[in-house]
Amino acid sequence: MSKHIVIVGGGVGGTMLANQLVTKLYSEILRGEVCITLLSNSPDHFYKPAFMYVAFNQFFDEELKRPERSLLRPEIDFRVDEVTRFDFAGQHLHTRSGKRYGYDFLVIATGCVPAPERIEGLKEAGDHFYDYAAARRLAERLNTIERGRIFISVSFPKTPNVPHQCGIAPVETTLMLDDLLRRRGVRDKVEIIYTYPSVAQLLRNCLFMQRPVGEALPGIFEQRNIRFQRDFTLGRVDAERRIAYSEEGEEQPFDILMATPPIRAVDVVLESGVSQAENDEGWLPTNHETLQVYGLQGVYVIGDTVDLPISKAGGACHNQAPVIANNITAEIRLGAPNSVYEGRVQAVAQMGLNAGMPLWYDYAHDVLPTPPSKLGGLLRTGFNRGLYWAVARGML
Amino acid sequence: MDVADTLPGHNAGLVALLTKLQPLLDSGRMDNVVDVLALVSDLVDMLDGAMVEKLALLFEQATAVSWNVGNAARMATAQTQAEETPPSLYGLLSLLREPDTRRGVALALRTLNVLGRQL
Repeated sequence: MSKHIVIVGGGVGGTMLANQLVTKLYSEILRGEVCITLLSNSPDHFYKPAFMYVAFNQFFDEELKRPERSLLRPEIDFRVDEVTRFDFAGQHLHTRSGKRYGYDFLVIATGCVPAPERIEGLKEAGDHFYDYAAARRLAERLNTIERGRIFISVSFPKTPNVPHQCGIAPVETTLMLDDLLRRRGVRDKVEIIYTYPSVAQLLRNCLFMQRPVGEALPGIFEQRNIRFQRDFTLGRVDAERRIAYSEEGEEQPFDILMATPPIRAVDVVLESGVSQAENDEGWLPTNHETLQVYGLQGVYVIGDTVDLPISKAGGACHNQAPVIANNITAEIRLGAPNSVYEGRVQAVAQMGLNAGMPLWYDYAHDVLPTPPSKLGGLLRTGFNRGLYWAVARGML
Repeated sequence: MDVADTLPGHNAGLVALLTKLQPLLDSGRMDNVVDVLALVSDLVDMLDGAMVEKLALLFEQATAVSWNVGNAARMATAQTQAEETPPSLYGLLSLLREPDTRRGVALALRTLNVLGRQL
């Protein structure tokens, strides 16, 4: 009987994994022994890191999306249908259209969503760059501010040792902000304050979640006259008086609050009841090596929904997809998974509007910062504008 | 005398590098390497965000077309090989009844139309 693999989520993790599974299982697909379905709530695929560039007027909406169908191999059955309920015991799921899909293997690739409403006043008075509409609003503010105070805050999930979305993004945007204000000729009238919470995964009282980068940041910030402060865990925001209050008991006024907000898993994952994460955040209990969900038969998870201590970013999906593709293939052919994820994540950090810094890390090694360069910046531009789509298609 | 022997003090990394470079120095081909480095450096100087954006778009368009055509050829080959006997004329015509086939034919005809327009 044919094995049915269902992937839920048309982001970069789900898309590249679906394409890689077709390659791995091509002979079984030709014989009709395996079929692959990808379910997404949108006909379009968004290059999510580009939202950060939208906030700095560097990307148009039309440039950051492609039809999902155009990124998938033709052997994949693609349906635009939102999953509304998982029945893990019965190995099937239900969708918005009323359909029921049975599966032998399920991959949850539904990502995470910003949840600024989880901090009092943040939704009303704060800005962020983690979706298109919010990034456009922030762009309008950043391009009109003439004088004042831009306050940067970072909120980590309450689940221990789980990072916020795209670890390096707050540093990237702080440096891009500095460049933007210099270009506009208002930098000397706008104060930038970068803050970091008391608890950042396994570190305390730091400026970044990994020590080597955290130790390099003061020098980089001082060169650009960016103020920085440790131990500011955003507790609440007074939207009317425009004051941010920390859990440590401090208050900071702002004209623009550029926040990395709390995040959570999507509703259908939260409602599945499988997560053991704190604060109803919904991260799935993930085997850090095989990427299977603990306690469930034939279920894998990729990308932002894992409860692992690695970045919630495409650079993590890029290394997880081959492991899951191998493991599902091995389960079908050999009866057990055979590949191990070592926690590898790679990226090119945007260090200001024109410079880039290639980086990588894994479970055993931290990022070792290197001097940002023009060539690194051009590499990032090349990735943003072209290489990404080849990665999503599973070509790179 | 080897260049490495002229170094004051001992720097293992530099010695290893110069030992590797020695054949190039001996044969006078080191100039080519320096010229290539200068050329790469000039290219980096000339590249800017806008040019990289155009090159990246070109890369995407080229890879997307080759990927689409490759996927179509691979799948069509597999389906054709799976048929025990060649399709009859009626079988070929019945392929045209499928919406995806008609869409593909329309794409091919429109491509020819646009090619003609550019002549």
